[in-house]
Amino acid sequence: MKKFIKWIASGWMLILFFVGFFLFWEYSIPLFDIPRYILPSPSEIVLKGSADLDKLVYYTGVTALETVLGYIIALILGVGFGIAISFSSILRRTLYPFFVSIEMTPKIAFAPLFISWFGFGLMPKVIIVVLVCFFPIVLNAILAFNSLSNELTLFYQSTGASRLKTFFSIRLPAALPQCFVGFKYAAINATVGATIAEFIGSDKGLGFYISIVTGNMRPDLAFAGIFFLTVLGLTIFGFVTMMEKILIPWHISMKRINR
Amino acid sequence: MKNFIEVTELKKVFGNGEDEVHAFGPATININSGEFVSVLGPSGCGKSTLMLMVAGLLDSTSGKVEFENKVVNGPKTDIGIMFQDNTLVPWRTVRGNIELQLELRGLNLKDYQEKINNILKSVNLDDFADRFPNELSGGMQQRAAFCQAMIHDPKIILLDEPLGKLDAMTREKIRADFQKLWMVKKPTVIFVTHSIEEAVQLSNRVILITPRPGKIDREIKIDLPYPRDLQIKRSAKFTEYVNSIQEVFHKYGVI
Repeated sequence: MKKFIKWIASGWMLILFFVGFFLFWEYSIPLFDIPRYILPSPSEIVLKGSADLDKLVYYTGVTALETVLGYIIALILGVGFGIAISFSSILRRTLYPFFVSIEMTPKIAFAPLFISWFGFGLMPKVIIVVLVCFFPIVLNAILAFNSLSNELTLFYQSTGASRLKTFFSIRLPAALPQCFVGFKYAAINATVGATIAEFIGSDKGLGFYISIVTGNMRPDLAFAGIFFLTVLGLTIFGFVTMMEKILIPWHISMKRINR
Repeated sequence: MKNFIEVTELKKVFGNGEDEVHAFGPATININSGEFVSVLGPSGCGKSTLMLMVAGLLDSTSGKVEFENKVVNGPKTDIGIMFQDNTLVPWRTVRGNIELQLELRGLNLKDYQEKINNILKSVNLDDFADRFPNELSGGMQQRAAFCQAMIHDPKIILLDEPLGKLDAMTREKIRADFQKLWMVKKPTVIFVTHSIEEAVQLSNRVILITPRPGKIDREIKIDLPYPRDLQIKRSAKFTEYVNSIQEVFHKYGVI
């Protein structure tokens, strides 16, 4: 309770801003005589959206599955390749520059190709999410595992500890903060990848829903879809942030004090 | 009998061809067991390079290092090491950081708990055992790092400007703490510094290194009784040592 009051006390400006924003939106529609097929009011979005709730919830599940599956695969591959590249000079001279150059390519441009290769099912969407998430994760992981201070390196060498022991006692925990920079960036992009993949070719999911209702001149339903996408995105990002707090609480507190 | 540590014609050159940088040497140094030796020189003279080569943490270009007649050709593990930037990890408490030294060496933590308490007490950190490094001041962090470097009773302690980033008052205090611990445990210490006063106060012997490429200019034995407290620092003999060293570096245009 006390925490809640504190939260309200520190966040009241933000809450006020949101309330003001939606009030402005609601009342500027009749005020400026904006047609409903251009921009519906928030109340209409809620009303029409809730009539379509079953579909929205089901499609959110579909998109969530693609996003989460792709994200987890990207996480495993990204960290795996990141560690491999950090510890192998051969990979650092071959795979690393290759990854850096591919990072410049807008990955989403591959989406139509994947749809044409793998069809309308789950797999091409997952692949596109993996593609979008993999690069920020792997590049940050490489940076993370290569940035151990010279002093700590000399310190563990002077103890004669095995590489495995050093990895789990020093290298891995030291790398986690920078890894999470990549995890969070990828979490933001994951839903983008899934949505665009669904725009291009699918028969279910929130991206599919938004493109269909927009085609039917129903911006109210499109906004309802966007709302669910936002909730999905926030949930995934919130989960990753929570994991960061659980796994590296020392890092969070360090930031707070340095501020 | 041979000396505890023998450094023979040790030399380090970084890079090769046109990028070659002659960093240190050649230099020959002998150090006795239990001796506190300072390596004193201007910044960039290669004194840290020397220390790392002695510890086997850096390969030499030529020459050799021997400990008790055994040639060093890889990292030495019976050492404790401390740098200007400490080796405390932010995810462990002060106690956890000291335990890290023991864990990495595969030692049993239970056997050491009392020792950890004692060493923390000796540097006035006993109330901060469960704090994280970022909750401590710079001076306290260096004291914790000192405990981390000492907890396994290494025969050799290597200190690379451990007080370099601290303010004058804190330095004074920690010097006294170091001296106290050294007098009890008598490890062999190689102390790299660019503070003349610090070198004279702490050491049995000061090795003066020339500007790069660092060579030994001379060695000065400091013949003053321990513990060297404020009174000794005010003595004429202490000042004489400091002045004579200052003159040497003045000659090189360093000061």
